[in-house]
Amino acid sequence: MTAQVTVLYFAKSAELSGLKEEELVAVPTPISSQGLWSLLLQRHPRLCVLQHQVVLAVRQQYVAIGDELVALGDGDEVAVVPPLSGG
Amino acid sequence: MVEPHRDVLKLRRDWLSVQEVVDAVSSASCGATSVFIGTTREDVLDGRKVIGLEYEAYEPMAQSEFRKLCDVIRERWPSVTHVCVHHRLGWVKVGEASVVMAISSPHRHDGQQAMQQAVEQLKARLPVWKKEVYDSQEASWKENSECPWASNHKQ
Repeated sequence: MTAQVTVLYFAKSAELSGLKEEELVAVPTPISSQGLWSLLLQRHPRLCVLQHQVVLAVRQQYVAIGDELVALGDGDEVAVVPPLSGG
Repeated sequence: MVEPHRDVLKLRRDWLSVQEVVDAVSSASCGATSVFIGTTREDVLDGRKVIGLEYEAYEPMAQSEFRKLCDVIRERWPSVTHVCVHHRLGWVKVGEASVVMAISSPHRHDGQQAMQQAVEQLKARLPVWKKEVYDSQEASWKENSECPWASNHKQ
């Protein structure tokens, strides 16, 4: 199974990828959060400077990068979330 | 009659009014309003002076994380009546408020403790980012030590 998802890039990840958002048409699902991150790294190798200091958000829920399996559906939003600095 | 709780987060691109945030939590049953104001500090880093901060947010998720944050606060301090946060986005120059938060409660102790926790949680969980901009035209993304995946995270 694959899904079409929208990937959102924020803060430093937007600068590194040169994008605010993009559509990925055939992301395998289910996929581990590590697998999803690796896929984004392949597309944008400069994101590797965020390695170990980044999490993802899938449908607006934080997901640490690791073995956890994520089920994706068409139209889902995935965000790259560098360290937060609100306030 | 029990007053319904109000939890309000506004992300704004204009100047913040402390009075507006305080008014948003007013309640006849509350004897205390706790307020926190976070201001952009004048700072010097490696000889470069900070002239301002540039903020951005994942806006729909900021709203959903704010609702979760309020649920956590109310579970621990059930007497908290209303919570209101106004947070700036875009350019904020040194000396201006970037966040104003108010919590109303019948008595001050609950409100003050809840405020302490709410500010910690906001810095740890709200998907908002800021970049410090220096007089040298350079800039750097900041990281809150409260954020669990920040390189400077403190336990």
